[in-house]
Amino acid sequence: MPYLGGEETVRELRRALSNPNVQSDQLRYRNTILKVIRAMSQGVDMSGLFSEMVKACATVDVVQKKLVYVFLCSYAALNPELSLLVINTLRKDCQDPNPMVRSLALRNMTNLRLPSLVEYVEQPLAAGLRDRAACVRRVAVLGWAKLHNLQASSEIDAAVVNELYSLLRDPDPVVMVNCLRALEEILKDEGGVAINKPITHHLLNRLKECDIWGQCQVLRVLQRYRPQSEDELFDILSLLDASLVSPHPPIMAATLSLFLSLCSGQPAVSLAALERVRGPLLAACGSGSREMRFTALCHIQLLLRSIPGLMGAHYKRFFCGYAEPAYIKQRKMQVLVELVNDENVAMLLDELKGYCTDVNAETAQAAITAIGRIGRSYSDRCLEILTGLLGLKQDHITSAVVQTMRDLVWVCPQCSDTVCFALEGCEETLQDSQGRQALLWLLGVYGERVSSAPYTLEVFIDGVRSEASLGVKMELLTATMRLFLCRPAETQDMLGRLLHYCIEEETDMCVRDQALLYYRLLHCGIEETRKVLQGRRSDPSLGVLIGRPAEPVSQWARSFNTLEPLRQGSIETESVSRGSPEHTMFDPKPNADLSNTLDCSRIEKVHSECVRCPTIPRCSPQSLQAAMQLVNIQTLAFTPPQTLPWRVYLYTHTCLDDAPHSTLILGELLYTGEEPQKAEVHKGSADGGVGAEGIEDDM
Amino acid sequence: MIHSLFLINHSGDIFLEKHWKSVISRSVCDYFFEVKEKAVDPENVPPVLQTPHHYLISIYRGKLFFLSVVQTEVPPLFVIEFLHRVADTFQDYFGECSEGVIKDNLVTVYELLEEMLDNGFPLATESNVLKEMIRPPNILRSVVNTLTGGSNVGDTLPTGQLSNVPWRRAGVKYTNNEAYFDVVEEIDAILDKSGTTVFAEIQGVVEACVRLTGMPDLTLSFMNPRLLDDMSFHPCVRFKRWESERVLSFIPPDGNFTLMTYHVSSQNLVAIPVYVKQNINFFETGSCGRLDITIGPKQNMGKTVEGLMVTIHMPKVVLSANLTATQGNYTYDLTTKVLVWDIGKLNPQKLPNLRGSLSMQAGAPKPEENPSLNIDLKIQQLAISGLKVSRLDMYGEKYKPFKGVKYLTKAGKFQVRT
Repeated sequence: MPYLGGEETVRELRRALSNPNVQSDQLRYRNTILKVIRAMSQGVDMSGLFSEMVKACATVDVVQKKLVYVFLCSYAALNPELSLLVINTLRKDCQDPNPMVRSLALRNMTNLRLPSLVEYVEQPLAAGLRDRAACVRRVAVLGWAKLHNLQASSEIDAAVVNELYSLLRDPDPVVMVNCLRALEEILKDEGGVAINKPITHHLLNRLKECDIWGQCQVLRVLQRYRPQSEDELFDILSLLDASLVSPHPPIMAATLSLFLSLCSGQPAVSLAALERVRGPLLAACGSGSREMRFTALCHIQLLLRSIPGLMGAHYKRFFCGYAEPAYIKQRKMQVLVELVNDENVAMLLDELKGYCTDVNAETAQAAITAIGRIGRSYSDRCLEILTGLLGLKQDHITSAVVQTMRDLVWVCPQCSDTVCFALEGCEETLQDSQGRQALLWLLGVYGERVSSAPYTLEVFIDGVRSEASLGVKMELLTATMRLFLCRPAETQDMLGRLLHYCIEEETDMCVRDQALLYYRLLHCGIEETRKVLQGRRSDPSLGVLIGRPAEPVSQWARSFNTLEPLRQGSIETESVSRGSPEHTMFDPKPNADLSNTLDCSRIEKVHSECVRCPTIPRCSPQSLQAAMQLVNIQTLAFTPPQTLPWRVYLYTHTCLDDAPHSTLILGELLYTGEEPQKAEVHKGSADGGVGAEGIEDDM
Repeated sequence: MIHSLFLINHSGDIFLEKHWKSVISRSVCDYFFEVKEKAVDPENVPPVLQTPHHYLISIYRGKLFFLSVVQTEVPPLFVIEFLHRVADTFQDYFGECSEGVIKDNLVTVYELLEEMLDNGFPLATESNVLKEMIRPPNILRSVVNTLTGGSNVGDTLPTGQLSNVPWRRAGVKYTNNEAYFDVVEEIDAILDKSGTTVFAEIQGVVEACVRLTGMPDLTLSFMNPRLLDDMSFHPCVRFKRWESERVLSFIPPDGNFTLMTYHVSSQNLVAIPVYVKQNINFFETGSCGRLDITIGPKQNMGKTVEGLMVTIHMPKVVLSANLTATQGNYTYDLTTKVLVWDIGKLNPQKLPNLRGSLSMQAGAPKPEENPSLNIDLKIQQLAISGLKVSRLDMYGEKYKPFKGVKYLTKAGKFQVRT
């Protein structure tokens, strides 16, 4: 921060600090130091005053000491030589009869963070571990962790580690927790504190004595423990039951996290625990702090992945208040979409409809997207609302509605009639490129049913020179080509103009190349063109799975109570702005970690192979599906039962938290009836992140 | 765990920073400012931001951002709760939590932060303990300190830290022994156009002010404890006794503290104290609109509704309001487009009414949505959920304390859609 007169201030303060009259008057001396601190906190560089401040350190006044320490700790790294002078005073203070002064000195000695001073600090720290005042021990224990951070490469002193382990049994609970924290940091390379049975039970028994921060720490460390027998496991669980419903959200979350890690082999117990935390989680959702509400919402989303019906009865808790911040509203809508069922759908849609006119454009768009999601199961009601919204003639609303309709038609082709009817005339209010792309896509695919389609395209083509968006131009090319295939008479002329412009005048390579491709394609004859351009339609016989299959808890247990679930928000809102449906895969309720689209360059290899399965004894599709879920293969969509050939689209993905690579496998399973089952598997291996890639559906 | 803390004011200046591990440059906040710029309204800044090397976890309280910098994976609820605790402590010490106050008490703030965290881990956060180590400033003491050169730092070790009851210090003495409890309930409700309740819930809190000598052991019982859902207690409350007998048994901390908070969430238990008849219209032509609001009492258990106030965030196109109020007065802020009607006491014989016309920007389209009404009200001597304290007993000490209970109902997020 530029601060005028910074130099001047420093000089003035130096004069005051070295003035003997000021030094002898304790009050004036302290006030001068206060000015230094104030200037420092405003960002003025005060490091020039270091030697004066070191002198000020030698005082009996505790307040002055504290102030000087604040200064010294921030500038010590710049003046390692001069800092040596402070050590003497600090070491003297470590002998002081007042435990407050001892702990203060010890704390600041370690806060200086100078590797050159380590040799002077070790001795008082070792003495501090055996001090009779608990507050000194607390500081000393953490001091060793700071010391270790300072010289991470050096050998760990086994004696100190042993002493820290023995202090785990200290009568003061804070010392105990600090020991855990220190050992976690010092022994990071070995994987943290060794958690064995005696330590675990000792910690569990003393859990009640700790404050909430301490409890969280203990619960977190215990996640590494694996009980040796089932009896022991249930003993631990019953001990923890009270903290599972703790009114403090951090403790509740930490306990649930521990529960899930302990019961990783017992899915039924984990599910029961999730039921148990419903109350406290809902309470956190209504908490006074909006940050707390937000975090609780994100965690509820995780829980819903395993028990979709968990919050069904409480859907009203997720209605948005007028003055709530946008990020909470958007999360609440995502939760509401999950909670929809036959009884509450009317109520929910009414509520969401109200949000569509929110002042915040992003919130409004999120509400419209949410309605679109619900539309996959209740298309008639939702389309009615969406069409109604078009009447408002607001450009951000229209754009979101058109995009939502495009996404919806891809999944539910039966809605296309209503959509085509609604499209008339909305191109005038569309401003942004995403919305126009969506409109163009719809016009291309359903051109034969929208009577005004050629005229709308003509307006676009006439304005193509001034068009700035690359996406719109590409989409326009494709849409015009498609329209040409079904309505050649009206479109031929404008297609010619467009191709001519794109090939001759367009400067962007992508657009030009695509135009050339289409031009050459037309040379190959109309049948070839039709094959390429109209090959990919969604199959109306495919029914989308309504209601997500419940995922096993272990899928997300590791990310519970971490920052992971909070991060997804930004990704999910971005996914609103994606391209046409052909380029994205539709997961009925996208899993958060699958929702960001992956660009094709990240696909390492795509190959398809056809596997002929040996004859399987007759089994129903349902039981097949259930069996596959057991081995973590999820179903995307399938044809209605009793149709032949019956097909089902599948995906599965590896989820290794720490590995940067993850693999996504998409597949199609084809069942042709009497013949043996035949499975075709297309594999896409995604590198560097998780993502979804479109099914190559011309398998 | 928590690496650094930055306090940032409304306009985006960092006015205080504190580092518990190594010093992190202020430039890390640039990521935050970028998002804040984009969010327009500071309330809309998401609480967790990710930067290449750090996480920024922030809370927004009293027009200030408390921004913590975290380097490793942490439980988010933990950090958020802690930041709120920091803000609560400032509030407790200085009476409010604003930039001016924090700058005035910079020294105390640094001392507090130093005590609250060590190496990034929470150390002493219990207000009673902190107050013994660092005395809160008050006018008298600062005058005395200026004259005598005394300090506001306690020079003895807080005794409470070593006793069995960490929240209470030993050897408390008062000449007047008194224990007062305030039951404060806030109604959060959303009513729709026709007056039916879309959502309603009561958030209650029992605040206590206990000044009793020695180590008293109190038992507070309610007439109808089964009413309450989702309770959360001060750590002093014995949870086992609540579970078995539904009484609050505890050794209280000294002074003011929050004994418990609770929710009443089943909608049919939540009484709505007032009804609102409203009619807001914007005309298609003529760029004007009409507004007519009447408020009357509904279920208020025979008590008077006071401090009634209606706040309306008008659409941007509304230029001015020309209204008449039969009671109280109204103001319309042209820049923020907020209409505030301050009514005061609700008289059931003569219902307050506000009506008149709104003029809009010429040529602007009619707003597609009517504004919602936010209502503020107070009812003294009534807990709207019907919760009643039946008795308070004291064990362990011989004297007889003064006891008192006050009830108050307030509107929380009380909103009427139009």
